[in-house]
Amino acid sequence: MIRRRLIIGILAVALLSVTFVASAAATFKIALVAPFTGSGSILGEYIKNALVLAVDEINAAGGVKGRKIEYVIYDDAASPATALNVVNKAILNDQVDAMFGPNMSSCVLAVNQIAKDNKVPMLVGATSPSFGYDMIGNDYLFRLRADDEVKVVNLVKYAVEVLKLKKPAIIHGSTDYCVVAKNVAVDSFKKYGINTVAIEQVKEGDKDAAGQLLKIKQANPDMLIGLTHEPEAAVVIKQFRSFGFGNVTVLGFTAWGVPAFTDLAGSAADGVISVQGFTPEYKDAKVQEFVAKYKAKWNSMPSDPAQAYYDGVYLLKSVVEKVGFNRTDIMKGLTQVKNFPGVQGSLTCDAKHNFTNFSLISKYKGGVWDIITAIF
Amino acid sequence: MLSIWIQNAVSGVAIGLLYGLIGLGVVLFFQTTNLLNFAHISSAMLGAYLCYMFNVTLHLPFVLAMVLAIILVACYGLLLKRFVYEPLAKREGGRLEFIIATMMLSVFLLNAVIVLWGGVPKPFPNVFGDPAKPLIIGSVAIQTHSLWVLGYVTVFVIALQSFFTKTMTGKSLRAVAQNQGAARLMGIDVEKMLTISFMLSTGITALAGILLAPAYFVSLDLGGGIIGIKGFAAAVVGRMNKPYVALLGGVLIGLAENFVVLYASSVYRDVITFAFLILFLVVRKKAEV
Repeated sequence: MIRRRLIIGILAVALLSVTFVASAAATFKIALVAPFTGSGSILGEYIKNALVLAVDEINAAGGVKGRKIEYVIYDDAASPATALNVVNKAILNDQVDAMFGPNMSSCVLAVNQIAKDNKVPMLVGATSPSFGYDMIGNDYLFRLRADDEVKVVNLVKYAVEVLKLKKPAIIHGSTDYCVVAKNVAVDSFKKYGINTVAIEQVKEGDKDAAGQLLKIKQANPDMLIGLTHEPEAAVVIKQFRSFGFGNVTVLGFTAWGVPAFTDLAGSAADGVISVQGFTPEYKDAKVQEFVAKYKAKWNSMPSDPAQAYYDGVYLLKSVVEKVGFNRTDIMKGLTQVKNFPGVQGSLTCDAKHNFTNFSLISKYKGGVWDIITAIF
Repeated sequence: MLSIWIQNAVSGVAIGLLYGLIGLGVVLFFQTTNLLNFAHISSAMLGAYLCYMFNVTLHLPFVLAMVLAIILVACYGLLLKRFVYEPLAKREGGRLEFIIATMMLSVFLLNAVIVLWGGVPKPFPNVFGDPAKPLIIGSVAIQTHSLWVLGYVTVFVIALQSFFTKTMTGKSLRAVAQNQGAARLMGIDVEKMLTISFMLSTGITALAGILLAPAYFVSLDLGGGIIGIKGFAAAVVGRMNKPYVALLGGVLIGLAENFVVLYASSVYRDVITFAFLILFLVVRKKAEV
């Protein structure tokens, strides 16, 4: 009797397992690894909202190749060590088919080897040139936004060629995002024969940049290049305005062109020129359609890098529809993406595994971004 | 150069006062309980977030929002005593257990705030003056916010000093911290004094959080950032026993930071400042209750 019950029990468990495997196999599983706490926490919500929006839309329309997309979300706390833990979990425990994020370059560098070893395609919104395909050669790593080198070069070009400025001072953060941007900026100015008159650092979490700004003031620059994250950008610009810098033009990196910065800085942000990966004000049909959908679902406005992850999910869907669910095939399919219509314009995988060079140069005035030029 | 030097000093004092403000709360709690609360800075974060919620989200007048926030955080202080301190004390848990428990509590509170308000820093209303429009004296800019902080800490330090030395409750609080058993024998209601300590120190830190918010924004940096460490450092520089020395400790850190940038490098600012602090702690005398 006991044996019979045991056999029935084992059979029941086996049956359940089969059902479970069958239901697991019926989905296309992706992981999102983004910062919801820590220094990059500002970005987590935007990224998650955009990804969930795209997944829900795709699932409502029948999924991808008959399978629903299932997602798991992990917080990497913008920390490479945490990113390593959660990516291990996503790849080894959850056995995801593809991964979105991390969004911080330092985290991408920390985890790219696991993704490579386990052949999991990684689509990231991180923008440091330091993990481009030309630098680390990970076949499975792809970038969904323009890399920082392109953006900084464009910002410097605008400052020198259009604004005719000649004496740059730089204030930068201490993360990979900021330091790489600083190096690119210094080199780009050098190519114009311009030396940077002052370079100062403000650490992430610092709420006082008075010492740095006063030192910069002594160097008498005609432009301040801000290469920091959003909260430090707000601290810098508020103190900058209070120290009477006169006619010094402020040009900021991508973090200086998002609401997370302008909300904190308030009127002090007026007059800042920024290079942006995205702005909801951009009058492009695709952008406006995305903004409307995002707003309808989340009752808030999207911000960079939301558009990149929204594009990413659709991009992945189009590749899976072409090549199927094999991860290596997906990787190969991603390298062959050409002229895919995204929110960020036409997306094509280039030699660095970047899908886009899209950026905007805009000026903040009276609470809105006035777009000066779009660069593709 | 002189104006740059003066501006550096003014800015250093301004940020240092904020560190001192946190240090004051640490000293107050240590003086009255002989304990270190590693979730100390969380009270500042809770104060700022609650004030923001009442004032900006629920549109209550600022003063009412501030008072409500302080009362709620003081109530949290009561819960801290009831659910963390008392169970530990009952099981004869010592200072180390309290430190570890409050360390974990600070992580818990940080994450609770993330769940309730999200991780995005929020701008605090300019109730203490517009930072883009400072007071200009000669060529030196002074933030009106810094004057508010200076005014508050001056009043507060004088009040605190007299409270501890002149009033019966203040003296009783110190007695309880020095020796609970002896205090009890002297007829002091130890339980009541401890309740006052917990509520006073958390409530006062909540007010500090509200004062910090214009500079720190309503952000997680208030509850998990380096300000907590600098506040502790200020308190230790103040030898944990004199509120006004803690305040000077904070100012010293603020000045050191700014002048390291001026004369050395912003990249090494924290390295040099903290090396200086470690050196200071190594040579200073033992902390006293």
